[in-house]
Amino acid sequence: MRERLSNLISEFAKRDPRAIVLSGDHGYALFDEIRRNCSSQFINVGVMEQAMVGMAAGLAKTGALPIVYGLSAFVPIRVLEQIKLDVCYSNLPVIFLGDGAGLVYTTLGSSHQCAEDIAALRPMPNIQIYSPADEQELVVCFNEAIASKAPCYIRIGKSDRPVVHSKPLASTEPVRLHEASKKVCLVSSGSMTSIAQEAAKRFKLSHYCLPRLKPFPREWVKSILPDFERVIVIEEHSRFGGVCSALMDAACEAGIRPPLMTSLSLQDKFADKCGSYQYALSEHGMNDEQILSRVQVLVEGS
Amino acid sequence: MTRSSLLDPKELRKSVLHMARAGSSVHIACAFSLIEVVSVLYSKFVTCEKADLSNPLRDHVILSKGHGVMAMYAAFAKLGWIEQIHLDRYFSDGSMLHGLAEAKIPGLEVCSGSLGHGLPIATGMALGLKRQNSSKQVYCIVGDGELNEGTMWEAILFAGHHDLSNLTIIVDANGFQAMGPCETVADLEPLPDKFTSFGFHAIDCDGHDVAKIEAALRASSGGKPKAIVARTVKGKGITWMEHDNEWHYRRLNDELFSKALKELGEA
Repeated sequence: MRERLSNLISEFAKRDPRAIVLSGDHGYALFDEIRRNCSSQFINVGVMEQAMVGMAAGLAKTGALPIVYGLSAFVPIRVLEQIKLDVCYSNLPVIFLGDGAGLVYTTLGSSHQCAEDIAALRPMPNIQIYSPADEQELVVCFNEAIASKAPCYIRIGKSDRPVVHSKPLASTEPVRLHEASKKVCLVSSGSMTSIAQEAAKRFKLSHYCLPRLKPFPREWVKSILPDFERVIVIEEHSRFGGVCSALMDAACEAGIRPPLMTSLSLQDKFADKCGSYQYALSEHGMNDEQILSRVQVLVEGS
Repeated sequence: MTRSSLLDPKELRKSVLHMARAGSSVHIACAFSLIEVVSVLYSKFVTCEKADLSNPLRDHVILSKGHGVMAMYAAFAKLGWIEQIHLDRYFSDGSMLHGLAEAKIPGLEVCSGSLGHGLPIATGMALGLKRQNSSKQVYCIVGDGELNEGTMWEAILFAGHHDLSNLTIIVDANGFQAMGPCETVADLEPLPDKFTSFGFHAIDCDGHDVAKIEAALRASSGGKPKAIVARTVKGKGITWMEHDNEWHYRRLNDELFSKALKELGEA
């Protein structure tokens, strides 16, 4: 997914001279391609994430189309007020790429982990939020973000999870990845989509993945959700304010009675011990094995 | 009427007083210290018309210390950029103008009630104009108290490193911040030297002498960004407000309002 991201950024810069990529001294190899092909459209502003977002707003005000790159622990978390006041208030066409969302930087500890980015951004007026699961989702999210000319956040989580989609997607609307049980539906986004897909196949459950989280697909909620007795949301984000919350909010807005909801998500705590990605997830009961067994217990009983 | 007489500092101060009385607003002294700077900028340097305000390729003034916004409203009303009725109705229900700068007001460009936002945006604008080979300028008015904010120094570091010669920072150096004198809170001096060390051409200047402000704005910066440390007086223009930090917060009653207007020669 990272190589595709590098291509997308570089191709955008090549085809639109207004594109400009800002990084707060992060990204390294991700920007090799744009630095090689369109070096004047890449600026490493230095370790100054907050001013970087303000500068992106200023650039956008003069007609540029900025992409602001950072680790999600910093963009959007460290720069939340700049996103709110400098970019969202004026509805400027700035794309934020938050890399390493969730527990990706597992060995670096809590400063670099980010379970709260979606929750932090959802209440910001004007912003669109994307959470691609694989390359195909990334392409459609990136292209839609660029075309929207609105503030957008693209959440880049664990990028080497198994590929989910075998062909290009037409839109960022929810995708039905598996259809089976009329009773139970898995809903996933981003890095948890591949393991949710496996769970759906193994236990013969329906499964939808959501590449776009804001605007939340309200029509889908209205038309699909009531079909099921139970929905299990799987996400690498805090239980508070992420996909499960967005789904409940959408049901509330649509005035429908939601099915029985279960959330498999990151718990309300910081990382405890150090270890691999799967280990870090295990502290939340969210590694691959735990997810499969938790889903099994939920649908088959213990 | 020329722009200079339209934007006569005394008239701008009167306008601020009327607005502050109408809205029972605080921040009077914060607006008074930057009146001459605003007057010179819009008389001589940012001379666009209302219709140009939506054109990004023009000269810009960014008010980074958003609590000085009444000085901007006063100037905008004189220039016909906003209607006088909005000043008369300051803070009434459903009125247009807030007590701190909001980006949707044409000419203000930024939300700068939270400090440390305007200068990074102004820096991005200067970079954006430069990348388009535009000769247009960005003037950013910052507070000295505001220079406590780390984002200001991030932007100053960036502007110096990238030789943003189309960026001019004007520090409204009135020596006070909300809770007291800057030198007792977090001393900034020697401020011009700090700018110089960050790659700016720095000028120390009387911030109430319009000729000196104009000369400082016209001075060549030798290809560097420019910082004008405008030495100002908080509450300038009303003797009993000057240097009295209470007027960061105090509101006018009828008696004080009349007394202040009298000092400015309005009966």
